[in-house]
Amino acid sequence: MRAVEILEGGIQTTVQDYPGRRGLLAQGFFPAGPMDHFAFRAANLLVGNDASAAGLEVTLGNVALRLRGDATVAVCGAEAPVTVDGEELPLWESRRLEGGSELHIGVSPGPGFRLYVAFSGGIDVPPLFGSRATYTMGALGGLEGRALVQGDRFGLLPESGDGAGRRLKPSARPVYEREWEVRAMRGPQAAPDYLTEADMQTFFGRPWPVDRNSNRTGIRLESHKFEWARRSGGIAGGHPSNILDNSYPVGAVNVNGDLPVILGPDGPTAGGFVVAATVAHADFWKIGQFRPVGDTVRFREVTIEEAIGLETAVNEILSPANLE
Amino acid sequence: MSATVSAVIAQRPAQGGKPSITYRYAGDRAVLVEYGEMEFDLTLNFFVLAVDDALREDRPDGLIETAPGFRSILVSYDPFELELDALVEHLHGVHDDLQAETEIEIPSRLVHLPLAFDDSQTRGAVERYLNSIRKDAPNAEGGTNVDYVVRYNGFADREELYDAVLATEQWSAFIGFFPGLPFMFPLDPRETVFVPKYNPTRTWTPEGALGIGGPCFAIYPVESAGGYQLVGRTLPIYDLRGRNAAFRENPLLLRAGDRVRFHRVDEDELLGLFKDVHANRYRYRIEEGTFDVGAYLEWLPSVADEAEERGRRREAAAAETPVP
Repeated sequence: MRAVEILEGGIQTTVQDYPGRRGLLAQGFFPAGPMDHFAFRAANLLVGNDASAAGLEVTLGNVALRLRGDATVAVCGAEAPVTVDGEELPLWESRRLEGGSELHIGVSPGPGFRLYVAFSGGIDVPPLFGSRATYTMGALGGLEGRALVQGDRFGLLPESGDGAGRRLKPSARPVYEREWEVRAMRGPQAAPDYLTEADMQTFFGRPWPVDRNSNRTGIRLESHKFEWARRSGGIAGGHPSNILDNSYPVGAVNVNGDLPVILGPDGPTAGGFVVAATVAHADFWKIGQFRPVGDTVRFREVTIEEAIGLETAVNEILSPANLE
Repeated sequence: MSATVSAVIAQRPAQGGKPSITYRYAGDRAVLVEYGEMEFDLTLNFFVLAVDDALREDRPDGLIETAPGFRSILVSYDPFELELDALVEHLHGVHDDLQAETEIEIPSRLVHLPLAFDDSQTRGAVERYLNSIRKDAPNAEGGTNVDYVVRYNGFADREELYDAVLATEQWSAFIGFFPGLPFMFPLDPRETVFVPKYNPTRTWTPEGALGIGGPCFAIYPVESAGGYQLVGRTLPIYDLRGRNAAFRENPLLLRAGDRVRFHRVDEDELLGLFKDVHANRYRYRIEEGTFDVGAYLEWLPSVADEAEERGRRREAAAAETPVP
């Protein structure tokens, strides 16, 4: 049976699938899934997998693995030295590898922070509630609900592709930066009822540094004293960022007291803080490539029509027409 | 640059005994539907759960999932299958078809759970907090949160707090934050307990701990961080491994709309019951039923004076008590 052995697990390497575990928000499960869905989906496309196949999310790098049996493999994401048995494997390309091959992913110098590895057939771990994604907050999914460590081993499902090596056209590849721009829609709690219009202009106007305490549960930004439209949260709490608890959308930028946090795919499903803006789904992949120290993000306001237009464009880029 | 848009999609005034409704953008894949004003009014939650129930029965293609909050529902949808206008139109229809708040009956189970007050595990969590996070926290004096909750609410002694917790059914308003965590509120307004949350939060809480934050009670489904004041410990409410028959079909014990009634046990008994749960010897006592909102609303005025009097006592005590 085809399988993969982990020789070095790195900081946090997890099994993920896209779009993760849907339909369980009301039970307290955020969807999990890849933090950068673009690079993840590209890797699956390159090895001929279904979009739902499970692959690996690698944080920063320093990962090594060995194939048992042949597989087509692609690595996409942050710039990093990637080799197969000592020979370079370019990113955004797939290659047929023989059993026994060793894949090494070095530490990414940036820009970008995460890499994705797809294997033809996809990773064979038991699906839980319809997904194989690892959900760190609930310690479930993937391999025993945890990050991979040296000595772990997982099987691969039967392949369906032709095994040919392909590459994503350079024009279709995303550009990673240190100063990110992310399109977002205001709300659900914005001006004039929760924040002032001046607050919203500040929110969308300034660059926000990415805090070192950022991870799959959320990207913490920098504390900022907003003006707020209300003096306090009233019955929901003393601070004007407090509201009666509600469910959060994925990509919510909530304001915890003075601290804006972009909720990641493993975030809390509900809470009592104002959500000033929500990242457009088409741009949500970018937060997976923020480097926790040094990167900044600027939010650019879009309408729902623009957000859906961006999504259409992303879906068109991730099509076989852009493989060569 | 886009023109400034509102976070509010549409609003409807209160009518026919139903609360006002505000539809808010929550990104390009979800709408937050809010009911009434930001008031601590359980009637709004009853209406939320009735709408949520109706939406489960009558779900258009492209509606992915709904997730209730205290007075809101987050409706996730696929904008390529279901246009926003059509979704809002559908929600209007569901609201129109619903009965007035006072006529609603909600499926509601009564779940009986044993509770050991001020047990050694929750005291251990408080000790750990004092030793490693904040040694001068006023809410953790003496290595327990119980005395702080007593003082903040103006109870004569611990027993008066314990009586309040045991005297009422707790309404599970929604599930969220962590998998399976119920946000619960006392159905008897005389037994309201209000207390500020930790500052900063705790890094460890034992499984099954009962905490209070603001007016809300929560049971911790797994060992985790947390911010609520701990008053005791009950049995597991979440088990992915399904060790007890109660978790075989669903790893979550509690649902939105359930009522929880605690009965007092001592710690030795609770620890024995924990073992019985894991060995599948314990049977959770769960009574199927419905909750008659009209009857409840008719009963409320009969206790209103007493609830108000106790509220005044609570506020006077709170004014004299330091906030963490």
